[in-house]
Parts: sequence; C-alpha cells; structure tokens
Amino acid sequence: MGGGAAGSGTSPPSGPAQSSKDPIIVVQNINLSFKLEKNAMPALIDVSLSAYRNEFVALTGPSGCGKSTLLRIIAGLIKPTSGNVRFLGDPVVGPRTDITMVFQNFVLLPWKTSLDNVAFGLSFRKDLSDEKKKVIAKDALDHVGLGGFENVYPSELSGGMKQRVGIARALALQPQVLLMDEPFSSLDDLTAERLRKEIYSLLINPESPIQTVIMVSHNVEEIVELADRAVVLSPRPGKVVANMLIDLPRPRSRKAAEFQEWVDKLYSYLA
Amino acid sequence: MIVALIFSVLFSLAIGIAAARNKRAEAIIIPTIDVLQSIPILGFFPLVILGIAAAIPGAAGIDLAVVFLIFTSMSWNISFGVYEAVKSIPQDFIDLSSMTETGSLQRIVSIYIPASLSRIAYNTQISWAVGLFYLISSEVISSESSGNLQVHGIGVDIFNYGSAGDFSAYYSCLALLIVAVVIWQFIFLREFSLWAEKYRFGDDPRAGKKDWLLKRYSWVNQRSLAKLFLVRPGRGVTGFTSTLSRFRRGLKYSILILFLVFLVFEVGTFITSARAGATFNLSILSAAPGDEAFILGGLAFSFVRIWYVYFLVVLVALPVGIGVALHERAYNALVPVIETIASVPAPALLPALVPLTLVAGGFAGELTAAFIIFLGMIWYILFNVMAGIRTLPGDLWELKRSLLVSPVQAWRSIYLPAVATAFVTGSITAIGAAWNTLIVAEYFGSTGGAPLTQVGYGIGKIIVVATYGCGSSAIADANVKLCGMINADGGAGDGLVLTLSILSMTALVVAFNLIVWRRVYHFVTKRYVYNR
Repeated sequence: MGGGAAGSGTSPPSGPAQSSKDPIIVVQNINLSFKLEKNAMPALIDVSLSAYRNEFVALTGPSGCGKSTLLRIIAGLIKPTSGNVRFLGDPVVGPRTDITMVFQNFVLLPWKTSLDNVAFGLSFRKDLSDEKKKVIAKDALDHVGLGGFENVYPSELSGGMKQRVGIARALALQPQVLLMDEPFSSLDDLTAERLRKEIYSLLINPESPIQTVIMVSHNVEEIVELADRAVVLSPRPGKVVANMLIDLPRPRSRKAAEFQEWVDKLYSYLA
Repeated sequence: MIVALIFSVLFSLAIGIAAARNKRAEAIIIPTIDVLQSIPILGFFPLVILGIAAAIPGAAGIDLAVVFLIFTSMSWNISFGVYEAVKSIPQDFIDLSSMTETGSLQRIVSIYIPASLSRIAYNTQISWAVGLFYLISSEVISSESSGNLQVHGIGVDIFNYGSAGDFSAYYSCLALLIVAVVIWQFIFLREFSLWAEKYRFGDDPRAGKKDWLLKRYSWVNQRSLAKLFLVRPGRGVTGFTSTLSRFRRGLKYSILILFLVFLVFEVGTFITSARAGATFNLSILSAAPGDEAFILGGLAFSFVRIWYVYFLVVLVALPVGIGVALHERAYNALVPVIETIASVPAPALLPALVPLTLVAGGFAGELTAAFIIFLGMIWYILFNVMAGIRTLPGDLWELKRSLLVSPVQAWRSIYLPAVATAFVTGSITAIGAAWNTLIVAEYFGSTGGAPLTQVGYGIGKIIVVATYGCGSSAIADANVKLCGMINADGGAGDGLVLTLSILSMTALVVAFNLIVWRRVYHFVTKRYVYNR
C-alpha cells in the first residue's frame, strides 16, 4: 500500500493497480463445455487471468460469452471441465466464505429483515452467538449507509437499498475476494450512479479485508469508472481477447478526455 | 366426459370473453363464478340428479345429470383462464385490430381464442383430474339412487364389481382406468399444452416444457384464490379497498347467495314432493330448527374429521414435497409415479380399501373415510409445495451454496418460508376438495344393499341419507335418529334436511374462506413471496 495507507480511510487510494504484483486469484487455462443433446458445446476456451492485491478487475464481453459463468467458476459454484482457479496458491474446489459474491438480483430473503438477511450470511459461523452475528450485521449495515434500516423487510426497500443490504451481507463475511455479478444492472441509472461513486472506496481501502474485487459488467463507462483492469471475452465460446490495465488516476471523471479514450478503446474490443 | 369437456371449453370461451370485454357482463359473471367455485359441488349432486331425473325420466336423465355435474366441475377454472388471458392481451394488439378494422367475429377468432389457448390447455389439465373425480363419484352416486336407472361407465363397473366382491374384475377395471388416464394425460393433454404454449404472449415458449406436470396443480395460485378473495390478478388488493366498491361487492354477493338459497330450497322441496308423492306445504318448515341443530352437529363432526386428516396430510406432504423437489433425480423419477397415483380418483379405490380397513373393527368406517379424505387432499398440497420449491430462482441456490448454509438452516430459513404461499394455496384447495369427498367418504352405499362403509355422524352422511332415504335396515341400525327424522318427514328422502344440509355446508365453507383463509392468504402473500 505504501503511502496510500497514510491518507484518510474513506478517500480512494490514488493511482492505478498498486504496482505490487501479488496475485490473489489466478485463473489457469479454464475450459468449460456444456452437454447439449450428446454434443459438447464449448462455453469457455482456455481462459487465464490474474487478479492482484488491491485490484478491481472487470470481466466483460458480449451477452452469452460466459463472463457470469467464469465468475461462478472463480466462486467455486461451477466446476470447470479443465483448468483450475487458485486463491493465494490454494486450489478453489468449492464454495468458500473467504470468496463471496454480490448478486445482480440481490437475492435477499423476503421473510427476513435487512439485519437478519445480513446475519444469515454468517450462519456458517457456528462459533458465533446469534447476538454476536447481529452486532456484526449491524456494523455492516452502518458501513453501507443503512443504519436505521435494520428492521425493515426487503419489500419495503428501494432497489439501491436492497443492493446495499446485499453488499453488507458480503462485507459481514470479511471476505478476501469479492465477486460481483452485474451489481448495478438491476438498478435505475441515478441509483446505480450514486452507489458506483461509493463502492470503490467502500471495498478497497486500508481497513478492508478485501484483497481483490472481480466484477462482471457489460457497461463500458462503469468499467472505466471503477476498474483497474479490464478483461474482455470474445462472443461464445468465450476466449480472452484483451486484458489491460486502466491506468487512469482516481477519482475518475467521465468528462475527462482520457476517460473517453478508454471508453472508445473498450468499445472497439466489444464491437 | 369428452362431451362435458367440450361444453366446458365452449362455455368458458363465451363467458370468459364476454366478462373480459364487457364491463356489465364482468360485473355479473365474475362474482357468480366466485361463489359457484367455492362451494362443494358434489353436495349439490343429489339435488341435480334428482331434479333432472324428475324432469327427464329414464336413463337419459341420469346421463344428462352426470354430464352436467362434470361440466360444472370443469368450467370455472377454464372460464377464469380465458377471462384473464383476454384481459391481459396487450392493448397494442387490440389497437392494431381496431386500426385494421377487424370485425368482432374475426377479432374473437384471430386474437381472443389464440390468446386464451395456453390458459385453456393447462386449465384443461386440472379440470380433467377434477372431472374424473366427479365422474367416478357421480356415477357411483347415481347408480346408488335406484336400481334400474343406471348410467354406463367405468365408475359404475368398478363400483359394482367391487361391491359384489369380484375383485379380479374390479382390479382389471381399475388398471384399465389407470392406463386410460395415463395415456390421455401423457399423450393428449401434454401435446395440447405444448402446442398451446406457442400462443403465449411474451414468455419464453420453452418455459412450458419443463414441469408441465406441476402446472396442473399450481393453477390455483393465481386463479381460484385470487377470485375467492376478491383480488384480481395483476391489479392487487388495492383496487378493492374503497368502501364504495366493497359495499357494492358485498351487496352483489348477498343477492347471489340469497338467490342460491332460494334455488336450492325450491329444487329440494320439489324433489321431496315429487318423490314422496305429497304436495308441498309450508308446515314442514316447522321442523327446520330441530333439523338444523342436528345438521350443525353433523357439520361439526365433519369439520373435525377434515382437519385431523388435514394435519396428517401436512405431516406427510410438506416434508415429502420439499424433499422430492430438492433432488433432481428423485423429482424426475417420482413425479410421473405420483402423478399416476394422483390421477386415480379416490372413490374408485374404495372397494379395495374397505376390506383393508376392517382390521380397525368398529372404527372401520372412520378409517375408510379418513383414507378417502386423505387421498382427496394430499395431491394439492404435495404438488403445490413441489412447485413452490421448483420455481425458486437459481441465484437463491447459489447464495445458499456460497454461504455454506447447512441443511438444517436451509430448511428453516429458506425452504419452509419459501413454500409458505404455495402451501397455503394448496391447503385452501385441499380443504375445499375435502368437503367434496365427504359425500363419498362418509357414506358409501351399494346398489340397493347395505352401505359398504359409513361413519357414525357427519354432514356427508346426512346429505346422502336425506337424498335416498333409509331403505335398508343397516342404516337404521347405525343411526336411529337420522333415519327416524327422515322417515317421519317423508320416507324416501327429506328435501328439507337435504336443503338445510347443503346450505349449511356451503355457508360454512364460504364463511371459513372469507374469515380465516383470506387473512392467512394475505399474510403469506405479503411476506413470503419470493419474486423480483
């Protein structure tokens, strides 16, 4: 982190991709094929990528290229046909709680309050009492700006607030890797904009246990705004066609000329 | 049966389209169907069959009555399906047809009917199962009514062989019935429903292919319940909260119920006078308070009977439904099997059940009744619960896996709450169905002889005995008071007791729906619906 740690916790670390070359997640030669009426349909072909310490990685590509599937392979939810995923050198063979996920559609249980939804994320922690879980959950809700909404049910929350609960549930787990599957695409533009502005410093800061964030997105501006690295997949079957560092200084302004250059550059890979 | 189905579809198209396109027709048709579908139809069957048989003598009259009963059992949900389908046609299509100056007949043929097809298809599936139950029950009841006025059908054959003790013939009839049901369902209904799926607006047509079995039982989610509780699908409850519309609605329902009371009473007394050869006079009404007290007792017994069987059903159906639906292989392997068992109408199993329950001695009748009610209820809950699990979105499973949620926690925090709505839906329909099964479950007669099985006391028994009288000594032994009362009033049957019984049962069912189920339903749909 170097000098970045000296700054206040809330301001985003300046500079891209913190040059430290410490791979947190390594994806090696992933192949995946589906069986479709006896034929094997390739979905991902020889995908390799790395996510380094304090890096915000965006996975993108045209619809159906397998980017969400790749995210689930990293999460240990889907087994690849061949290849492997390593987390700090350790193979990921199944779901684990130090790698956790924020979902596109929030996936909150409608019969639990926001506090209980966040605490539900900790249900694997047999060592914690229910009271302790609630204290952690309350902290996580405060952290995402939902203090005072502990006893509200998801049906009474707006989309943006629901996603904040979803993020709080992930943060409460103190994960080292955070995976986000199109976290802003179910939100309206204004809400998404506001949440996007907060998310980077919320996830990547000296106090956060999160070492790396991998986000699936098809929104080019969003990627240029948030990501330190963009990995572009080809149309189905997905292959890596570009893997580049977005070395824009933070905070990033959409109006800056360099920002637009990056947007155009990414579009050229997607078109 | 096919005749009744065709009539049902034609009737439903006419009624459904009329209700959807005409405000005035909607105001009359929708509440009428509401009331009609929430009452136990089978309870009315004795009235219908005797009424029609009195008007049209001979076997033709009874055949007509059977067709009519099946028709009434099958039509309501199809009508609602058509109504909703036409109502939910995107306005663009209506506008398009107006702009191209399409005639109204052409509009019906080219827009309304195609738009209704997928709803008709899957409502036909549920109607078929319901209709089959009524077919067997009504054939059995009608053959009971008098020796030589029998309709011909598998129900009568099954029943006759069974009660005559010819079990090889009985089992071959039963096997034949099952084979016919399976062929019909898996070949005709399935193809029809897949074909009709092409006519859906908006949705992915492939969605219809999987889990078509579940649709049969999950139609109630939207249809009957929403209607029962005066909630129109797609509009929510709020549309009905204004006091004025509530008042007008209440008025409409009261008038309808009064009319129904009048109709039932007329038919009831007409039958009594026709059968007893006596002329009707108002003096018989003086017996009403005493009869009513007796009937309320019967209702109470039946109520308790239904509810204890319901709890047994829940104990089995809830864990089994969730457990099977959770496991892909178990689900794929077991659903066709369960479906086949479910398609056998419970009354057809009675002759086979009776010898088995004899071990219970004095409680044999009670045990048989419990079996029939159990079989009449369990499928609604089982299939609804399975559908509740199967329709949960994939990312919920991913959440469960990625959070390493243990099975115990998953049952407590995910599965049980997730099926709450489907479970309540299934329960409401199951209890409704249970009232219908009472007619067969509480008193199962045989052609001219002693009843095969009967319970001591219950509304179903009262209805059957009040219709056919206390001909045989076996009944008199079992329930002296019931027969004494009926014999004193007229001999062959008792129109007053019959009328009061049916009305009391209907009132109880409707009141229970409005007071208890409606609240429960609102509660679960408010909190326990998993949607986006």
